Amino acid sequence: MVREATREGRRLRIVGAGRWLDVGAPVDATDEITTTAMTGITAYLPADLTLSCGAGTTLAELEAATRAHDQWCPLLPWGDDLGTVGATAATATAGPFAERLGQPSTLVLGLECVDGTGRVIQAGGRVVKNVAGFDLTRLMIGAWGTLGVITQLHLRLRARPTVDRTMVLEVPASAVDAVMALVRGPYAPLALLSMDAGAAWTAMAGALPTAMDPAARRWLMRIGGNAPFVAAAQEALARLGQLSEVDGDAIWPLVRQHAAPRAGPGPWRWDALSRRLRERFDPHGVLNPGLLGAI
Amino acid sequence: MATLATALEQIVGAAHVLTRPPSLLVYRSDGLPGHRAIPSLAVFPGTRDEVVRVVRVLAEAGAPFVARGAGTGLSGGALADGIVLLGLHRLKGILAIDAEARTATVEPGVVNATLSKAVAPLGLLYAPDPSSQSACTIGGNIAENAGGPHCLKYGVTLDHVVRATVVLPDGEVMTLDRGEGTGYDLLGAFVGSEGCFGVVLDVTVRLTPIPDAVITLLADFTSMRAAADATSRIIAAGILPAALELMDQATIEAVESSVYAAGYPRDAAAVLLAEVDGAAAGLDADASAIERLCLEAGARAVRVARDAAERARLWQGRKKAFGAMGRLAPHLVVQDAVVPRTRLADLLEEIHAIGTRHDVRVCNVFHAGDGNLHPNIPYDADDPAESARVAQAMSEIMHRCIEVGGTITGEHGVGLDKLDYMPALFSGDTLDAMCTLRDVFDPERRANPGKVVPVRSCREWLAAPSARAH
Repeated sequence: MVREATREGRRLRIVGAGRWLDVGAPVDATDEITTTAMTGITAYLPADLTLSCGAGTTLAELEAATRAHDQWCPLLPWGDDLGTVGATAATATAGPFAERLGQPSTLVLGLECVDGTGRVIQAGGRVVKNVAGFDLTRLMIGAWGTLGVITQLHLRLRARPTVDRTMVLEVPASAVDAVMALVRGPYAPLALLSMDAGAAWTAMAGALPTAMDPAARRWLMRIGGNAPFVAAAQEALARLGQLSEVDGDAIWPLVRQHAAPRAGPGPWRWDALSRRLRERFDPHGVLNPGLLGAI
Repeated sequence: MATLATALEQIVGAAHVLTRPPSLLVYRSDGLPGHRAIPSLAVFPGTRDEVVRVVRVLAEAGAPFVARGAGTGLSGGALADGIVLLGLHRLKGILAIDAEARTATVEPGVVNATLSKAVAPLGLLYAPDPSSQSACTIGGNIAENAGGPHCLKYGVTLDHVVRATVVLPDGEVMTLDRGEGTGYDLLGAFVGSEGCFGVVLDVTVRLTPIPDAVITLLADFTSMRAAADATSRIIAAGILPAALELMDQATIEAVESSVYAAGYPRDAAAVLLAEVDGAAAGLDADASAIERLCLEAGARAVRVARDAAERARLWQGRKKAFGAMGRLAPHLVVQDAVVPRTRLADLLEEIHAIGTRHDVRVCNVFHAGDGNLHPNIPYDADDPAESARVAQAMSEIMHRCIEVGGTITGEHGVGLDKLDYMPALFSGDTLDAMCTLRDVFDPERRANPGKVVPVRSCREWLAAPSARAH
């Protein structure tokens, strides 16, 4: 389809589950290319902690398949699980767990894509460590489809922590430094979000414990690891303030939907290298033209 | 060349330009013997400004060049064959350390271990730890996307690089980052580009807190299969050790007969060196789980290092294993394939069989937790018959690794050494796309020419032979 478009001067809007269409500059397209036919997990070796799937596979499918083996691909991006793995990679959408469990560029080991010249590119590989050749995988991640349409992905999985707790910690302002010393030191949580500001937290108020002291500082955090580690972390944090356990399975999907920092690409940096990239990988302007603004 | 040398001497001083063959001989190889090439000239700028001016003079002269750090690479990547060698080891400045943000900004010639030493008083370290860390430079680590034993838990070089200022081969200075929603991941493309995309002027890296506690275990096995099986069990159980390293009988023997003797049991078929680190709480549980899984897989014994000294000794044997193999023969070929972790046991048996068939001794010492094999063969490069057998055995090993879904390099890079395997690993379209990416950074194709991607794989280069004049 990309090759035809190149020949016939058509311009393609790339669509996964269609959850990103309204971000960025409008795409000036004549046709749509959708990854919904490229779905499904094509290889999954639980003992290897690797998985391959079509770009149109939804995050929900990925979650269900890996959960069955007590594993996960902790992309868990901002937004909901109706979105696709391909779009998550193409937009490099991170989430509250990315800092600790891996950005999309760390969790994607390799991918297949079709660039604007119609080349079918097999970037990277399926193994967890790989420096063979120039890194076309990292190039495609976060490129918003403007260098290639991602069709397949090879992902790194992780084992789910044996013990996994989500908690709200409320402490007086005087204890903030002590909290930071713990979370930046021995008891690094899987995710840590300040609940001090933002309408998002108001929207989720029903699912969270009410603040006891309006002047206090509050965080939502998730701590995972083996049982002695989690117990020690909880004990240390509880000494600093009020620690209440909440239902993580219920709260994190809400957080990912409501507390997202922002959606869509920012004003794109079209420096000399970036312009050359776009010109060389999509010389006819077939892929998502206009999405990242004018070159 | 005389006028180029003069122009370069004016920038860096006559003492830092080498033009006479005897002095250039030092740079004829890197950490991997077997590839040799002598540069036409070597230039060693001492400041960032000098690097930029040197690169611009080279651009004006249309001169191809190879950037080089400490020359500890294991792929022949830092060899300059009759062209200019640009050495960066004089740029040793640690420019800034931000303890709060946990970052350091350094020049490319800073030695890996020197950085960790410099930030240790702040309770921090630089996590990527290639075995050559006492000599290799951060600039070289960026070029190779270097790994090391502790990358199993902490990630490879790219995971620790925030930003880099580079000079492109045409002389333009640019600051690259990961894109972060407002640009392409140019830094992701640059890290691991093996000196083909430009020269690092400074780089900001992430620092990691020194773990509160560390436990190091050594499990010994009477069969390699059992050791590989233990590795798979530990990974499958969801434990994330800081490192998980395997050494076979040939390696144990080499280490124990050398000055690096680490106290590995000489009669073991394999030893597994495992390390867990982090908060003290929970560490014992991980260590006992590893011990149990090793025993279940058939370990004869599992020993826990009692103190820092014993831990250092166990690690010394691993880190100096390549050096210890130097005792066995004058030369050593070092490989770097990665296979799916569930295939380790099968592959190691096949590698052994391939070695036996070609009458060569394969020593395996590797990052088992990542499936990153280092099959090494000590040999005498001056014996043509033996060299041919070694080359044949290595080729079969590498092709087997590709066949089971692996790759030809996990951390050493393609360089010159693995060039011939690239077409077996990647499709024509993919190799051509890599050529395109290189062209974006270096349209004149002057930076480390002839490395990483075979020139014959670049369609446009073939179509326009005049462009290959260099």
